[in-house]
Order: sequence, then C-alpha cells, then structure tokens
Amino acid sequence: MSTTEHGTPTTTATADREVVVSRTIDAPRERVFEAFTEVRHLTQWWGPDGFTTTTRAFEFRVGGEWDFTMRGPDGTVYPEWISWTEITAPERIAFVHGESADDAKAFETVLTFAPDGAGTRIRMHTVFPTREQRDEAVEKYHAIEGGQQTLGNLAAYVASGG
Amino acid sequence: MFNAIAEPQRREILALLRTGERPVTELAQELGLTQPGASKHLRVLREVGLVRDRKEGKHRVYGLDARGLRPVHEWSGGFAQFWNESFDRLDAYVQDLEQQHQEE
Repeated sequence: MSTTEHGTPTTTATADREVVVSRTIDAPRERVFEAFTEVRHLTQWWGPDGFTTTTRAFEFRVGGEWDFTMRGPDGTVYPEWISWTEITAPERIAFVHGESADDAKAFETVLTFAPDGAGTRIRMHTVFPTREQRDEAVEKYHAIEGGQQTLGNLAAYVASGG
Repeated sequence: MFNAIAEPQRREILALLRTGERPVTELAQELGLTQPGASKHLRVLREVGLVRDRKEGKHRVYGLDARGLRPVHEWSGGFAQFWNESFDRLDAYVQDLEQQHQEE
C-alpha cells in the first residue's frame, strides 16, 4: 500500500536544494527500521529493480561507514559511501551520502519513520549543499536509471510527440 | 507533482494512458479500482498537470498532458524516482521479513 502527500512541496529556506520522498510501507515500524540496519537486509532492496550492491565495509553506528558499489542493469558500477550521523531506533536515521569518504559533494539525508495505521510512513529528506549540486545529483541518478522502463521514459516518449 | 507520481496506481494510470485516451470506467476496470477510487487518482494527476480531460459525446475521456510531463522527466528519472523504486522493493521485502518473524 502506498499513499502520497498532496500538493506541491512547501517552500522553505532549503526548498531549492532539497528532495523529499515519502511513502507508507505496509509493515510495523520496528520491521521497516530493521531493514535499514543490516547489510543482509539492505542488499535485498537498495536501488531500483535490476540493481545489485556489493559491500566492502559496513558498520551501523554513528560515525560508522557503509562502503559499497552499486551495479546497474547495464553493468555500470557506481561507487557509494554512507556514514551515519544519527541513529534513533526505531524513528530516525541520518547519514551523509556520497561516492567516497572524501567526496566534497556528499549530501545529508534524514529518514524518519512514523506509525501510520498498521503501516509505517517513511519520509526521506535530502538536503544538498547547493542547488547546483542537487540538480547534478538529479542528473546523475537520471543517468543511473537510463534505459529502464520508468515514467521518465514515458515522459520522453510523450514529449517527443511519439 | 513528484508526490503525485509516487503512488503506484497513479503510475499505472499514466502507463495505461500512454496508449491513448480512456474513460474513467475503463481505467477503473483495468486496474481493479472502484470508479470513485480511479476518479480520485485522476483528479490528483489533473491538478498537477499530468493528465487532462475532455468531453467526448456524453462521456469524459482522460489523456496524458505532455506539458506537465516535462518536469517529471527531469525529476522522476532522477533522485526521487530512484528512491520511489527502492521503496517499492523495501515494501515487498519488509512484508516478507514480518512474515518470517511471525513464523519464528
């Protein structure tokens, strides 16, 4: 089951350099939180269909790191690095996410988990250092998704008058 | 806008409309939704400019609105879409996980 927040994003000081994704997951909060805490869980769902992850190091604690690569359906390998800055079970996880530990373009993400009926509402709030870096990340992930049957392809198809 | 397409059934509606305009009754039937349910999704999609409607005889038909889809192209193929698709997989995975815990 999935629900959405209606309307356009509210305007805040960081509105032009953030991305918010929220989603209701049909499972209790403890279980949803658990899926973020161990690599054996994360590898089962991280990334869109067809993506796989390979972990070099994983230590789920504040200051700990997840050093991994993500491989797309076309075989492209992307370096990924995450370091946790806050872990409050089962309600909140914050981390810095980039390509490596010395990535100057790393960005901060805060995940919050709230009970929503029998399910759990996840809100993922990512703030980039600048608007340009947000747009760059959007472009990068757009490239990551290249070739997949997504709504992006649908939009391209429609926009081209096909 | 991006929240409007985070909902899987609304994405399915957009995918169906790709093949051409359809009345709400047909969309509801294809997706196994009630007609008010389908109408509600269409209203959200229309409000954000992804879907337009017009009268055809006695009926109203819905189609894609290419103007609204341009910004979605920039966004949904990117970061937000990456996470929407990851959360689709997370949803399926934690339900399995919960099942396992209950069986233990």
